[in-house]
Amino acid sequence: MVPFSHSLLVAALLFGMGLFCLLTRRNLIMMLLGIEVMLNAGALAFVAASLHWQQMDGQAMVLFILTVAATEVSVGLALIVALYRRTGSVDPDPPADRQLAAQAGEGGV
Amino acid sequence: MMSSPPIEVVLLLAVALGLPLTAFGVIMTLTRSQPRVSAIISLGAIAVAFGASLSLLIAHWGMPTPLVYEITWLVAGELPIPLGVLLDPTSLLMLTVVAAISLLVQIYSLGYMAGDPGFGRYYGCMSLFAWAMLTLTVSSSLIQLYIFWELVGLASYLLIGFWFEKWTASEAGKKAFVMTRLGDTAFLLGLILLWLNLGDLSIAGLNDPQVADRLSPGQLTLAAVLIFGGIIGKSAQFPLLTWLPDAMEGPTPVSALLHSATMVAAGVYLFARLFGFFSLSPAVMTLCLAVGTLSMLLAASMALVSRDIKQVWAYSTISQLGYMLMGLGAGGFTAGVFHLTTHAGFKALLFLCAGVLIHHFDTNDIFRMSQRGSRRQRLTLVCLVIGAAALSGLPPLSGFFSKEMILAHLAVHAHPFWLAAGLLGSFLTAYYTFRLIFVLLRPAAETPSDDAEGHHHSEPFGELCMAAVLVTLAGLTVVLGFGQGALTHFLSAAAGAPPPAPAHHLGWLPVVVLTLTGAAIVAAWWEFARQKRSETGWVDRFPTLATLFARRWYLDDLYRWLLDRVVYGGFSRAFTWNDQRVIDGGLDGLGQTVIDWGAISARLNRSQIQFRLMVLFAVVAVLVLYLAFA
Repeated sequence: MVPFSHSLLVAALLFGMGLFCLLTRRNLIMMLLGIEVMLNAGALAFVAASLHWQQMDGQAMVLFILTVAATEVSVGLALIVALYRRTGSVDPDPPADRQLAAQAGEGGV
Repeated sequence: MMSSPPIEVVLLLAVALGLPLTAFGVIMTLTRSQPRVSAIISLGAIAVAFGASLSLLIAHWGMPTPLVYEITWLVAGELPIPLGVLLDPTSLLMLTVVAAISLLVQIYSLGYMAGDPGFGRYYGCMSLFAWAMLTLTVSSSLIQLYIFWELVGLASYLLIGFWFEKWTASEAGKKAFVMTRLGDTAFLLGLILLWLNLGDLSIAGLNDPQVADRLSPGQLTLAAVLIFGGIIGKSAQFPLLTWLPDAMEGPTPVSALLHSATMVAAGVYLFARLFGFFSLSPAVMTLCLAVGTLSMLLAASMALVSRDIKQVWAYSTISQLGYMLMGLGAGGFTAGVFHLTTHAGFKALLFLCAGVLIHHFDTNDIFRMSQRGSRRQRLTLVCLVIGAAALSGLPPLSGFFSKEMILAHLAVHAHPFWLAAGLLGSFLTAYYTFRLIFVLLRPAAETPSDDAEGHHHSEPFGELCMAAVLVTLAGLTVVLGFGQGALTHFLSAAAGAPPPAPAHHLGWLPVVVLTLTGAAIVAAWWEFARQKRSETGWVDRFPTLATLFARRWYLDDLYRWLLDRVVYGGFSRAFTWNDQRVIDGGLDGLGQTVIDWGAISARLNRSQIQFRLMVLFAVVAVLVLYLAFA
């Protein structure tokens, strides 16, 4: 049987990887994926806790999380597709600000 | 007193007060475009209402105490506002007079207004007018009276401005409305003052002499003066008298109704209604006497030079209302109310005769009328002479008795100055009245065929209606004076009326009055009717005086000046400045501030969403660590 601390560690690692993906990728789809990974890290921690304390509440919570995640992904993806159709871009920052950022990047940093 | 009323009284009241309102509603919503149906509905309603009020009058003839029936209409806080009727001799008499004059005027209008595009609307407004005035007369509390007081004002506004496509007519309507509103504001303030101090506005309660114990003398006088302000506005007394001559822009039957039984009579009626209350304050009674006298003389002087028949009658109305207030102010309750009653009859007669002449000759100018042959309108002129003689106070017509009562009262109870003013007034009245009559009686300058210009060929039925009404009113004018004894006895039981004063038989007074009246008539005849007439009145020999009278003592100019300087120049400018600078500027400034702050925070929050997210996570992580370990 996997120790409780190991599963928590895996969950923390997954959460950190999702966060890293969310913060660094400059693509809305990949950011959404990062969010999903973070969400599932939380779900994993719930399952581990449920196993550790022999309580079914954690598992029930996970089922809720999966349902919400499914709907959230579909809505999020639809929004991103709509945004792409309108602007031709999946960049998280608006175009004008991208230019500003680019200039700032050229100037200093 | 607060017993539940007998069923027949309820029925009669419901009929008298409900039917004209129903007629108004039905005409305005359903039958406005059908003149014949509208006229039948309105006439039927007012005829039944007249029958009901007449039977009420007869049923209550000689009743011992006034009857009050009230129901609670609504409750404001702790104070119930009642709605009800107060039946006493004054209100019953007035109810009958109003219903009778309304009925006659509406019959007359069948001929006068025939073919007018607004015929249905006219009858609708007439019903509204009649309903408002009828309910006003029987109101049991001042709140209710005030509501109908304003409704009367509204109805007269609608009717004065009936031909609203004419600029002067709509202006006259506005003037009447605004000027009476000035008085009504004072009235309302007086009501509020009384309400705050007494908590009771029932008419019976106010006429109780105990009111004097519950109010300080200052408050009592102030409240009475404020309410008297409403009377000044409504009854066109000095200084708010110039709206009435302008109000003749409406159809002539409307003027007849307005001047005799409804609008202007409401003011004097209110004074009679609250006679007991006003008598508690001698200062206000003196004020009433003074205002009445001043208006009476001013208006009579204006009538001396007017060439417009309706204007002459309008001035005479103001002057007769002044007489009524003089009588009431001197403490002569029955004299004032009796003159109100007789005046309603003969003033309606005079205006309706004028209406026939105007209808026929298509001009308001008496000199033009006589040129076009007013002499040939025999029936109308006979009625006109009867009315004019009543107005001048010639026996045996009704005006003689009522004016005599007022003057006798002045002679006994007031300073000789007021009596002298009253006598001067009756001289002027007789002069201007017979000036008009003699001018109209002159032989025509043009041939009979010449009066075709503007001649309205009205149907014979309409002519018949008008003639019948004239004859009825003339008959009333002749007969009514002989009812003096009965009416005086009847009225002396009224709420707030003093015990009937012992009849003063001043043998010299009628002689003096008749001498003066006779002299005035002779003077008018000398100037306007004899063979070698000069055609100029004595006033016209003094051009300054004539101009002063014709310009209404420059009262209108004074109002114009006040309006321009104080209202437009002072208040309007201050308010405009306040509106543009303070209110608009404040709102604009507020909006601009929000926009500016929004721009600043938007600049702070733009772009780099992932960077912000990272900061967010870092802060949350640090917070969690801090909370977990610190």
